[in-house]
Amino acid sequence: MDPVLTSHIREPNGHTLEAYLRRGGYSGLRKALSLPPGEVIEMVKASGLRGRGGAGFPTGMKWQFVPKDSPKPKYLCCNADESEPGTFKDHVLMERNPHLLLEGCAIGCHAIGAKVAYIYIRGEFYHVQRVLEAAIEEARAAGFLGRDILGSGFDCEIYVHRGAGAYEAGEESALLESLEGKRAQPRIRPPFPAVVGLYGCPTAINNVETLCNVPLILTHGPEWFASLGPEKNGGPKLYCISGHVEKPGVYEASMHVTLRELIYGYAGGIRGGRALKAVITGGSSTPVILPGQIDAQASFDGLLKAGSMLGSAAIIVMDDTTCMVWLAENLLHFYRHESCGKCTPCREGTDWLLKILHRIEAGDGSMRDIDLLLSVSRNIGGKTLCPFGDAAIAPVVSTIQHFRHEYEAHVREGRCTCPAEWREMGNRGPGARA
Amino acid sequence: MDTVTLTIDGRSITVAKGTTVLQAAIEHGIQIPYYCYHPALGIDGSCRVCLVKIEKMPKLQTACSTLCADGMVVDTQSPEVVEARAGVFEFLLINHPLDCPVCDKGGECPLQDYSYTFGPDASRMDFPRRTFDGEGAGADVDFGPTLLINRNRCILCSRCVRFMRDIDGDPQIGIEDRGNGSHIVTFQDKGVHSILSGNLMDVCPVGALLARDYRFKSRPWDNPIAVDTVCTLCAKGCSITAWLRAKPEWAKGPRLARVTPRYNPQVNDYWMCDIGRFEYHFTESDRRLRRPLRRTDDGVLQPEGWRGVLARLREEFEAADTPGERRTIAFLASAHASIEELVVLGQIARALNGEGAERQVGVSWRVSEKPQPAGTKFKVPRVDAPNVAGAIDLGVGAPPLEDGGPDLSALKAQVEAGRVDVLYVLDPGPAGSIGDLSWVIEARAQGRIRLLVVQGVLMTDLAAAADLVLPGATYLEKDACYTNEQGIVQAASRAIAPPGDAMEDWQILVNVGAALGAGVAWASTAEIRADVAAAMPDRPGYADLPRLAFAKPAIARTWLQTSNPSERWKWDALFKDLPPVKFKGKAETSPRRDLDD
Repeated sequence: MDPVLTSHIREPNGHTLEAYLRRGGYSGLRKALSLPPGEVIEMVKASGLRGRGGAGFPTGMKWQFVPKDSPKPKYLCCNADESEPGTFKDHVLMERNPHLLLEGCAIGCHAIGAKVAYIYIRGEFYHVQRVLEAAIEEARAAGFLGRDILGSGFDCEIYVHRGAGAYEAGEESALLESLEGKRAQPRIRPPFPAVVGLYGCPTAINNVETLCNVPLILTHGPEWFASLGPEKNGGPKLYCISGHVEKPGVYEASMHVTLRELIYGYAGGIRGGRALKAVITGGSSTPVILPGQIDAQASFDGLLKAGSMLGSAAIIVMDDTTCMVWLAENLLHFYRHESCGKCTPCREGTDWLLKILHRIEAGDGSMRDIDLLLSVSRNIGGKTLCPFGDAAIAPVVSTIQHFRHEYEAHVREGRCTCPAEWREMGNRGPGARA
Repeated sequence: MDTVTLTIDGRSITVAKGTTVLQAAIEHGIQIPYYCYHPALGIDGSCRVCLVKIEKMPKLQTACSTLCADGMVVDTQSPEVVEARAGVFEFLLINHPLDCPVCDKGGECPLQDYSYTFGPDASRMDFPRRTFDGEGAGADVDFGPTLLINRNRCILCSRCVRFMRDIDGDPQIGIEDRGNGSHIVTFQDKGVHSILSGNLMDVCPVGALLARDYRFKSRPWDNPIAVDTVCTLCAKGCSITAWLRAKPEWAKGPRLARVTPRYNPQVNDYWMCDIGRFEYHFTESDRRLRRPLRRTDDGVLQPEGWRGVLARLREEFEAADTPGERRTIAFLASAHASIEELVVLGQIARALNGEGAERQVGVSWRVSEKPQPAGTKFKVPRVDAPNVAGAIDLGVGAPPLEDGGPDLSALKAQVEAGRVDVLYVLDPGPAGSIGDLSWVIEARAQGRIRLLVVQGVLMTDLAAAADLVLPGATYLEKDACYTNEQGIVQAASRAIAPPGDAMEDWQILVNVGAALGAGVAWASTAEIRADVAAAMPDRPGYADLPRLAFAKPAIARTWLQTSNPSERWKWDALFKDLPPVKFKGKAETSPRRDLDD
């Protein structure tokens, strides 16, 4: 499949409005404004577009949940807090093709009846903020944003809000809290943001890549979009391949593609011709899978069948030098650090898990620590206010599930048993700082 | 009203629509623990201990945030729930210091109680606990003028944050840092400065927020007697409970351990202000009047028996310059005087000074501004006396001035003109609560008043200037009624006895009346209340006076009843002995196994 989202990202000045218009930009918005909002939602539903942020929820359905008859203002929030470890697709889109996102936001606003969209970008994306704000200025000046867009009577403003750099702010209700100026902590659901969202008003929250797909659907039609991928997994997909591969990076492919094609084709195979040990398929929150499963289709449904998730399509590849205990420790260091601290199991449990993992990795663990890890994980999983808890335990549970022998070897030998490079470099890994 | 019917633990329960599963369970005596939920502070969903199994829902749900629905089937006792709940309790305790033996909350601590009831039998945590004893936020430090904070004990339920935000109206408390390092802070560590700060100690489900006033003072099981009464330190009249210490023979110090708010949706909800909570100490202060005092010819106040002072009063009153006449007498009462006391005083005034003389009784009180945030849900009144409305209703004294202050101009003018020989002051409130009476002291010093009689509870400046001092009883030492600013007639009950020779004030007044020949013949406060009721049949609050109940000191049989007072309503229903929870595979995973082997 030829890239459609990233076709022009290498073009010099491809992010400007002029270049975007040359490529036929804002025709999707023009089309959308000529249709009633309900029909736009129907088109998005027909295309089968699923949310690219991680959960894979049908976008059209999400928009339909926003009540039409509410007297309150409605909002569209673009979740650009891309902070899942291993994920780096959204900032490419925002940096190189900002007008695609703005067009998607404007169409989304039209569809749900909002007049204001917020793009919540993560605190570290300082340069992206400047690009987006420049693009918004351009679009306003050209009449694609602001009052009476393209003479249709539709008003739409887009604001960029840069967070303070918290992983939890990517959770949709925590994002809303943060946008309101509070601590980025999740809210209780129900009520769902579609009904009670930003400032208590109906709000739709969509990922950057999701919104970038919307103009394509309007321009080329839902049938075209659906035909790009397998059933229920239509459209182009960006994959972020990182780890022990020759050519890490963002690759655009149809969801027909398998993990093997992505790793060995797009990313050029394992670095130095080494053997593949494990793959994280959708960001650090998803379970690891073994080399035997990499012929699975890298789609929402395909990876679910393989025992993992597509998530944010952050594929982290690990070769045979990787220590799985270290992997779990490394990721738990992240989760412990990023836990918002609101609810008990996550706040206390992630810290405890990290301490146990650090002990095992340092060679001071005992066999019962392994069962303790599983038991603590079970006490976190499904008991937390937001999905963070489930995300945090995924690396622990799945590495013990597939690599229990490695944990046991750590305990038996009283040291880390994997010849990872970082150890030779004298680095004790992130656990040393815990 | 719309209702829904659901099943909890096999019991069919019908509740109003909009009730949460947790509320329904509490109402029906089903055991579900909780920390972050508070009936007045709403739902936060963060502590996660109220997990229950709801049929057709894949995950366990928090009972606090789940609305009851028709046909819902809830299970609070399934093995899945029991283990999940125990898991959360294990988490709550892995960093909690377990210093219960030296914690003021120990014995009435929801974390302690629920952990025993629902927690695992042992912790598997064998790492050092998180402490806040380094740089920055301290663990056991001052938290404003009234409170202390122990951050090690905090379980981050955020009730204090929500109390300050939602009830106090000034969100002084926040949470800083995130994840495992989250802790309660105030701006620049200045602590909480609020007139409602004491309530934070009540809402805190652990010993993290403590009152300095109560620190190391008593243990809950040493406060075995409770008296439900009413605070009279301002015009609001909050419902309170006074806690009495079981004081051994040899022990010195106060008998009152503390006063705490008592739920009363009409008046104070779950709260009370710091004035009522901390300033009750005057009742047991060293300046309490314990014996009647008489000024000798040397100008010194000397103790004297009741008979002696009353005889002296009679002598002075009747020793007029012209034979056959009596000296003029005027009365000044604090609005801390109860309905009964005002009635007796009014009757004496009428008997001595003629019909309508009760209107000339000066009724005085202090008005003080209490700065509070504009959006506060608990407004502390400006008037520092409990019975201003009662005095107005009974027709004693002049109506208040427009600014809410007392109108004493008539009495003042009389005194200034030297037309008052004897001034009788009734002041059963704390020092200064009667308002500024320096003009009385001055008039006495300059001889414009011949005899100053003060019936009070403290050796105030006024009592020190008096010729006769009669020791009365404070609001915690007598059964008496007061009418609050809303016009609700409330009964304040006797929790402790007046000290020394002090007597209940109505009784002193009856004796004084007899001594002065004013002929007041009530034998009990019940008779006074019956007369008031008979005189005011069309005022429901007063017509019902004889039926008003006074609480008697009750044995708080268990810590259940002495527990966190703002939530006492729930305790009776909760806590039966449940078997300890053992995690699956416990034998293999417990770090204690080595010890057992």
